[in-house]
Amino acid sequence: MTFNDRIFGVLMIVLAVAYGWGATQLPEPFGGSEAVGPETFPLLLSVVLALSSLYLIVRPDPDNAWPWSRTGIELIIAVVVLVLYAMLLQPLGFILSTALAVGTLCWRMGSRPPRAYLVGAISGLVVYLVFNFALDLALPLGLLSFLEVS
Amino acid sequence: METLGYLIDGFGVALAPHNLMFALMGAFLGTLIGALPGLGPANGVAILIPLAFTLGLAPETALIMLTAVYAGAMYGGRISSILLNIPGDEPAMMTCLDGYPMAQQGKAAEALAISAVASFIGSLVATIGLILLAPILADFALTFGPAEYFALFLLAFATLGGITGKNPMKTVVAAAIGLMIATVGIDNTGVQRFTFGTLELYEGVDFIIAIVGLFAISELLFFIEERAGGGKEKMVVNKLKLSWADIRAILPSSLRGGVLGFIAGVLPGAGASLGSFIGYTLEKKVVGKKGYFGEGDPRGVAGPEAGNNGASSGALVPMLTLGVPGSGTTAVLLALLISLNITPGPLMFTQNADIVWGVIAALLIGNFLLLVLNIPLVGIFVRLLSVPPMYLLPVVTMIAFVGIYSISNTTFDLYFMVAFGVGGYVLRKLEIPLVPVILGLLLGPEMEKNLRHAMDISDGDWTILWDSGLAIGLWVFAGLGLILPYIVGPLLRRRMKVTAGTGNPEGD
Repeated sequence: MTFNDRIFGVLMIVLAVAYGWGATQLPEPFGGSEAVGPETFPLLLSVVLALSSLYLIVRPDPDNAWPWSRTGIELIIAVVVLVLYAMLLQPLGFILSTALAVGTLCWRMGSRPPRAYLVGAISGLVVYLVFNFALDLALPLGLLSFLEVS
Repeated sequence: METLGYLIDGFGVALAPHNLMFALMGAFLGTLIGALPGLGPANGVAILIPLAFTLGLAPETALIMLTAVYAGAMYGGRISSILLNIPGDEPAMMTCLDGYPMAQQGKAAEALAISAVASFIGSLVATIGLILLAPILADFALTFGPAEYFALFLLAFATLGGITGKNPMKTVVAAAIGLMIATVGIDNTGVQRFTFGTLELYEGVDFIIAIVGLFAISELLFFIEERAGGGKEKMVVNKLKLSWADIRAILPSSLRGGVLGFIAGVLPGAGASLGSFIGYTLEKKVVGKKGYFGEGDPRGVAGPEAGNNGASSGALVPMLTLGVPGSGTTAVLLALLISLNITPGPLMFTQNADIVWGVIAALLIGNFLLLVLNIPLVGIFVRLLSVPPMYLLPVVTMIAFVGIYSISNTTFDLYFMVAFGVGGYVLRKLEIPLVPVILGLLLGPEMEKNLRHAMDISDGDWTILWDSGLAIGLWVFAGLGLILPYIVGPLLRRRMKVTAGTGNPEGD
């Protein structure tokens, strides 16, 4: 099967065209036009990308299988965990969010839940202490901010 | 001799107590990174960059530490090739051929020690080569005009895949994507490009975020997909019995390997894997019938290992003198230079002489430190091999999060990093290499600047780009870099595979 490269090639051509069109819409810089304006280099790039993507469509490589089914779901879970981790880092605080995120990832990668969350909690705590006391960089405490020693 | 004076000054920088301490720390961390499963050198250096920033290290200290990490990762990578027959990266493939049989014969400790000594000699040879060659190349590079630089950047992209690369067109696609990302933000003329009015994008995409996302996060996703969470069984290493005669026996192999590796590292498009391959084949030819290659001949460990390390030091030559890295890890080191506000290239040798020579001296010192660290501490590093990735990778991901978060204390960067990770995963699935993307991100602004300067000089005449003999030469080599893989690539790849395949007792 050679769908991957073909689909990717089409997507990249769409990107190249959109990007190239975007470049032509760029305003003229203050002080009049020059030999190389803000649009010249992007236009070159869009031509290069379009041509090389065309090659991918014409001469695609064999596909690598995509992980559908369960592994695919695991991957989506992992990405969701990472997004949630970024989202909750400030409100929950570093230690709690790390315990949850690292714990969940370890668990999903095959560790037993108690051990997984223990690893998460310990790693979060250690990194927090190292950053706050040894390196003097404040990571957010969030929900645990009542523990703060001032 | 001018160079000698600079080098002595460099030692002055590198031997300052705190720099020495960071070099030692870097060497240790690097070996750790190389030994741990699923953490390549580029990945490891990338994760440590934000931390080097948040520590507020001086530029030379940060660079010394990360160079030591780079050197250390090369040492660490061989441990899994010898003990488990799993090459940590492509250049380590040749080390497996004789290293693993040695380990099976109960000579694992000897194999590890020999590879440490060979790595040391390889790096030493290559560092001396670097000291001799770099200033000459830097002087030569001073004659480059903007048009030559533009062509040189093209050459760097074209040869990045190496002559053994699979599909050069995919390198072109990847480079174009990287360069496109680099155009986001406010450009030199003050025009906003592709920011979509988002404030966070005005200053462009921070390449550190992109690098960490592309490497660290996509690696996590790959491990999850391969369900490779379980650890390897515990490894025991026998007690070391190595005599001076053994070391003397591998000396010529290591020297040859180091020289070959250095040459392969300096040349664009050859790279470390070709260096270790040539190192191994040459050893076999030179030793001939007297050897027992493939059955645990120590010279079969020493040759490619010295070649591998020689190539990695050699790869620093184009990075330091021209500002054009030839490999993934040197690209990451270039990212560090740019973010420290040091413009890489020939001028660095005059403007930041203390930093350049400090780093070169640190490379020499780092190699001594690594040798000293590696022989007695190998037991610790071996034990690290059995750390199961299911604990390791989440923790590494967390460290990446902390590093990126501490650069600007915003969560926006974290979302961006995750997005780059997912993108990197998709690209790797499509076998589109990530290094050109990163190189595009790094070199994009410089490339555009040089194009603009060239055009300003010629008053809009595009032919200036191939007006000088030097520029034409660079264009020709860039063209060859794209065409040769189609002709020579399949042949070389097959030969490398055949050599790897016949690494069984019969040899060939």
